[in-house]
Amino acid sequence: MFTPLLDSLLVFTITTPLINVLAQRVASKKLVTGYVAFGLALTLLLLPIYYMEGFTQGKVTTILNLSAPPIGVCLEIDALGLFMVLIFLLIGLAVSIYSFQHIEPNPGLIGYNTLLLGMITGMVGVVLAGDLFTLFIFWEIMCVSSYALVAFRKEEWEPVEAGYKYLIMSAAGAATLLFGMSFLYGMTGTLNIAYLSASFAQSEGTVWMYLILTMIIAGFGLQAGMAPLHMWLPDAHSAAPSPISAVLSGAMVKTAAYGLIRVLMFVFPMMHGAWGITLAIFAVLTMFTGNLMALLQDDIKRLLAFSTIANMGYILLGLSIGSLRGLTGSMFHIFNHALVKALLFLSVGSFVYRTKTRSLKELAGIGRSMPISSGLFAIGVIALAGIPPLNFFWSELTIVTAGVEAGMLPFSILMILNLALSAAYCLRMIQTIFLKETTAISEKATEAPKIMLVATIILAFLSIVIGFYPSPFQDMAGNAAGAAVDRQAYLDAVFRE
Amino acid sequence: MIPLAYYLACSLVLYIIGLYCLLVKRNMIRLLIALEIMLNAVNLNFITFSSYGVFGATHPLGHAFTVISIGIGGCIIALGLAITLHAYRHYGTLDVRELRRLKE
Repeated sequence: MFTPLLDSLLVFTITTPLINVLAQRVASKKLVTGYVAFGLALTLLLLPIYYMEGFTQGKVTTILNLSAPPIGVCLEIDALGLFMVLIFLLIGLAVSIYSFQHIEPNPGLIGYNTLLLGMITGMVGVVLAGDLFTLFIFWEIMCVSSYALVAFRKEEWEPVEAGYKYLIMSAAGAATLLFGMSFLYGMTGTLNIAYLSASFAQSEGTVWMYLILTMIIAGFGLQAGMAPLHMWLPDAHSAAPSPISAVLSGAMVKTAAYGLIRVLMFVFPMMHGAWGITLAIFAVLTMFTGNLMALLQDDIKRLLAFSTIANMGYILLGLSIGSLRGLTGSMFHIFNHALVKALLFLSVGSFVYRTKTRSLKELAGIGRSMPISSGLFAIGVIALAGIPPLNFFWSELTIVTAGVEAGMLPFSILMILNLALSAAYCLRMIQTIFLKETTAISEKATEAPKIMLVATIILAFLSIVIGFYPSPFQDMAGNAAGAAVDRQAYLDAVFRE
Repeated sequence: MIPLAYYLACSLVLYIIGLYCLLVKRNMIRLLIALEIMLNAVNLNFITFSSYGVFGATHPLGHAFTVISIGIGGCIIALGLAITLHAYRHYGTLDVRELRRLKE
């Protein structure tokens, strides 16, 4: 009906509740989780079968108009979208494997798997959408699923409070985004990204354009955790169940970054002078907020959530530079951060699963009683600190050098300062987990179940591989960034259709 | 025919009312109503643009968008009310100022 990727995901999303009913009849709860993991694995297999060209050559591979082009709904698949799809499916697969064990002991978690798959489908749809109408529909599928998932453990007060806060802020952001889109529609009569891009190519920056730009940056920026609008992020990411935190932090904030890249680079490239510097200032503000607040936290999941904010700052800085190298850094950092943050949240999830506490003080010395989980956690933390043989170093280096190259030296210096700050809290985590005296709680903990370790090991393995052989992955990120910079190729492909 | 600017002014005012309520009001259900007002401002905007784009005809995209946007707005508000219900069970009040435990 649509493209093979979305078809497969939609079929699995729709049939999951039916399998759920079946699973309750035969009293095997693992059946549903297995079905979801199978669906994601199958979709991941479809990716190289159908879209190898898009990855290796960075071409626009598919354009699917569901009705006549300027006003119709359409899907467009290019290297940028495919790169994001790869990230989402990888994270989704690891999380669904992890959920086998993690979600099992809690009773009454019927909708969990459906919502998880729905969220992944929404994210994939957002990055494959060729017009803002389709983008918005999938965006809301993703958001509504995630509101429900954040407030999932409704018998406790914390998820409910975080979920309410998240719902109000995110829905207000979506309304703002939509308001911006309505003006775009009013000015051009279409929402197709390629047609918008063509009709704005020669336009001047009028007041309306600035209004639209502000609204779109605010709307996407809120979901990306940009600094003055980040308040929901630490609450929601720490209150959600650990596998969901991994998806939220690893993949969902990246969707918003993708939205910014798509709209700013394709529809507003002529106003780069205006949004470039604004976004750079907000990016630096975001980094400082994230890193400074992370230094003060005792709750380990909250600390990681603040570190997500800081990393979104780096990604936004890469985007604000707007050059090929800057965007390559951003895309590569999106990939690395997704892997590492999912790894960290999953391994912290193992700690929480065994000890039922998130306080760093109480988790002190857990490295002795849970050596494998802590070892995986340490790999993630060392990567997060940006220490050379692991993957963060390469993408951060790319963003910093791109900044210097584009004449934004002050911003690069501020980013290096932030990298030092982030190393400080990373070292503190390592010291607490491995070197401090054990507490009563951490002493009693036993090693996490095998299936949870398997999911975490996949992510840790990928981080190490990328750290030692960055070039193939960097090329892939470069292709994706090339697709974002080379607007003309995209327009040609759409208009030829 | 009423000029386009009047409609735009109206939707902008609605949007600002919604935003103002979100920032100032304390009742959890009022906040959801404020969200609904913001979404309605957007819908009004789309309908206006679809009627004024071509003289004497309506542009189909705006209408399609509005219908779907109303549906999505309904989903968000329904979910919001469900969460509000659970919040009321935990806190015993609908005052949003009481939802401050996460700040500490």
